[in-house]
Amino acid sequence: MLRSLLVPRAAARSAFKKSSSLPAVIAPSSIARWSRRGYATEAEEKDLVIIGGGVAGYVAAIKAGQEGMKVTCIEKRGTLGGTCLNVGCIPSKALLNNSHLYHQILHDTKARGIDVGDVKLNLAQMMKSKDTAVSGLTKGVEFLFKKNGVEYVKGTASFAGEHEIKVNLTEGGEKTIIGKNILIATGSEATPFPGLEIDEKRIITSTGAIALDKVPESMVVIGGGIIGLEMGSVWSRLGSKVTVVEFLGQIGGPGMDAEISKAAQKILKKQGIDFKLNTKVLGGDATGDKIKLEVEAAKGGKKETLDADVVLVAIGRRPYTAGLGLENVGLETDEKGRLVIDHEFRTKLPHIRVVGDCTFGPMLAHKAEEEAVAVVEWIKKGYGHVNYGAIPSVMYTHPEVAWVGQNEQEVKASGVEYKIGTFPFSANSRAKTNLDTEGFVKMIADAKTDRILGIHIIGPNAGEMIAEGTLALEYGASTEDIGRTSHAHPTLAEAFKEAAMATYGKAIHF
Amino acid sequence: MASFANACRLSARLTARQLRQDAAARGFRSSAKVMAAQNFTMPALSPTMTEGNIAKWNVKEGDSFSAGDVLLEIETDKASMDVEAQDDGIMAKITQGDGTKGIQVGSRIAVIAESGDDLSTLEIPAEEKEAAPSPKKEASTPKSESSSESQTEATPTPSSSASSEASAKPAGKPKKQTYPLLPSVGHLMKEHGIEESAIEKMSPSGPNGRLLKGDVLAYLGSISSSYPAELSSKIEKLTHLDLSNIKVAASAPAPAPKPKPAESIPEPVIPQESEIAVPISMQAVLDVQKRIQSTLGVFMPLSTFIARATDVANDNLPRSKTQAATADELFNQVLGLDTVTTSAGVRGTFLPQITALPSADPSAPVKPAKQLDIIDILSRKTRSTSSGLASKPLPGLSNSVNVFSVKVPKGDEKRAQVFLDRVKSVLEAEPGRLVL
Repeated sequence: MLRSLLVPRAAARSAFKKSSSLPAVIAPSSIARWSRRGYATEAEEKDLVIIGGGVAGYVAAIKAGQEGMKVTCIEKRGTLGGTCLNVGCIPSKALLNNSHLYHQILHDTKARGIDVGDVKLNLAQMMKSKDTAVSGLTKGVEFLFKKNGVEYVKGTASFAGEHEIKVNLTEGGEKTIIGKNILIATGSEATPFPGLEIDEKRIITSTGAIALDKVPESMVVIGGGIIGLEMGSVWSRLGSKVTVVEFLGQIGGPGMDAEISKAAQKILKKQGIDFKLNTKVLGGDATGDKIKLEVEAAKGGKKETLDADVVLVAIGRRPYTAGLGLENVGLETDEKGRLVIDHEFRTKLPHIRVVGDCTFGPMLAHKAEEEAVAVVEWIKKGYGHVNYGAIPSVMYTHPEVAWVGQNEQEVKASGVEYKIGTFPFSANSRAKTNLDTEGFVKMIADAKTDRILGIHIIGPNAGEMIAEGTLALEYGASTEDIGRTSHAHPTLAEAFKEAAMATYGKAIHF
Repeated sequence: MASFANACRLSARLTARQLRQDAAARGFRSSAKVMAAQNFTMPALSPTMTEGNIAKWNVKEGDSFSAGDVLLEIETDKASMDVEAQDDGIMAKITQGDGTKGIQVGSRIAVIAESGDDLSTLEIPAEEKEAAPSPKKEASTPKSESSSESQTEATPTPSSSASSEASAKPAGKPKKQTYPLLPSVGHLMKEHGIEESAIEKMSPSGPNGRLLKGDVLAYLGSISSSYPAELSSKIEKLTHLDLSNIKVAASAPAPAPKPKPAESIPEPVIPQESEIAVPISMQAVLDVQKRIQSTLGVFMPLSTFIARATDVANDNLPRSKTQAATADELFNQVLGLDTVTTSAGVRGTFLPQITALPSADPSAPVKPAKQLDIIDILSRKTRSTSSGLASKPLPGLSNSVNVFSVKVPKGDEKRAQVFLDRVKSVLEAEPGRLVL
């Protein structure tokens, strides 16, 4: 319809060109060539329209650009990169790294032979360095868009029809974009806590937690998952009295191996974070000077009131599809708000696909990234692949916690006979020289075949080390395969190898 | 004697793979006699061999043979080799007779049966296409299960084929391990003295048909032979999102969805080129040339003038529309810096084609500028003059006119025009400056 309107116009224009703007001397052959153009160049229809410029959306956009598709990415934030780059993974890592440095200078360097004089925290500068990292990276994504020919539209998208996206442009005005294929990658938002109104100043989510303008005296973190523990760590290092309230019996979320979780709790406790596990938050009152939180043991019913200057709500994230106009095209979500898809990420309208946090699977940036590439390959080549069994998880506290594959609870529940090998960093030479020896590597392998089922690390640099474990899992390796692979000496990764050796045989250094 | 034995072993090893696959495949079948016979395909006698000729069959149809018998002789462009039987059997049918030439590796040359098979009741299998891989999945069929299947070429899907009972579909698929064996696998094999050739008898259960430690253990009998496959299918389940039991939220009434065709192939875009041509008089150049010769006694060929004019004119041209912006420029755009710096001109690489118009003055032959002289390029002169000169293009034709033309991609006509105008003005106005 739209196209049929456009073609005559394009043809008219090219006819005009032919008659008027030819240079004086020109070969007749090129005139013939010119008359051939005029088709299709003006068509508004895109091969792929992506709603959301977060990790899922921008990766899909770049990938699609590289595959030669005409692609538009719509983002309303004003900067690309989504939660991850703007208010998630990236800024939190900047704060984690710098607060760790500060904490280390404050408490640790003396033992290493470095006497530092007056150490002062300049929080504003710390925030600024974080912002520099963030803006550099978001600009970098924009650059990659340009490089790969991705059209970037700033605005809020909603479905006007099955192939039609209406965009409320940020700079004012409206625009309609037609897409042969449409990809929904709208991501997620922090789940609010019923009864506590988020103001991002005193009652905050992770977004507020990376932008506090002063170090609160006390902070209560509702939810002892990865986000809660990371942000709790930051403010604890900077001087807050942090209490983590968790409904479950373990920190780190249900995916973390119980043994690792216990170890992490012990270490973090030593660093000054208080934990209240198996504890329910009943409600809060933010009217006073201090926020009062009423908590109760999950079983047992002993009530207690916690005072805090700042309450961080970190009870998880939920899919974000508000305002998208899903009802206009009849797309379905499940009870948790996740868009319903099939194995090719298709909704019930097969040209509309969904990846990332707003659909099923773990809410992880690298999972979204895998899916983004896979979905473009599905569209372009008819086949894409994500191995959900080998997606690593990392918690960037100090020490870091990282794992991939199944944890011991899960393996036990699946009824598979397994064996376990562990190796402590206290027996690793590099960790010793670094005076950073907390934690261990734990491997779980099938008892009969020695095939690796899960790898769990708590310790320095665990997040980097888990890449090897992911690769091993992806290749179906046994612990013996790792044990018979050379690892450089002296490195922390040797602990990884030794844990493998401990699984199928015996570790050398322990 | 030793060398003869060696040669035999070599040829045996070369073909062992092929034959073992067949043998191994048969082994899966619960009762061989009711099953069809095996296709015997042209073996690859070297890694680079793609086709071969049959020199001579040493067995006739109906003949029995035992392991080690030479079945036939194959010629390639490099050598001729004997193909030995790996197992006992009967030659059921020879489909490619003596002297057949140019048979592709993997295409059927005969049908063999197991010894004891009754040839009269034997079912001759259909010709399989070369290395018929695991069926390629249709592009968009929503196959509910296992998208990791069929992701690589010839390897069989691990979970199904590895259930070593007859129920599976062991159609003689190669289980060739084409990559280095895992360290644990290599170690186990050495430790237990398993020959490398035994690999084909093992059922790989790893991703993409990779042979895992557990598969060797199963082969050795130290664990149950079906266990690795069972474990693999458990792990395989974890590689997918569990999209069963989705509880759809009560949704608003929906308009009936109408699926549309997903992709239409866009027409290939033919790069457009146009030719820009400008007539340029060489009269001024000839004058200067003459003057130089008379005053300095040096002959400057016309090509020198043209090459230098080209060099000057190429300098500082407007940016090509077809040229992709550099990474720096893109990043400056992102940072909003592109508006600050006036984008400087870019050096062009135009080389004009020169065709002489029928000239009234035959005494002025024009040499076409074939190539820039390297010296000219190295001693880039009179660059600064270009911008000033470009501003006064000279109209009209004059004596000994030549047409200078360049071909440019669509969109760059203007750029070419600027270039040619400069060439024109340099050559017609003050060619003397080119040699000063």
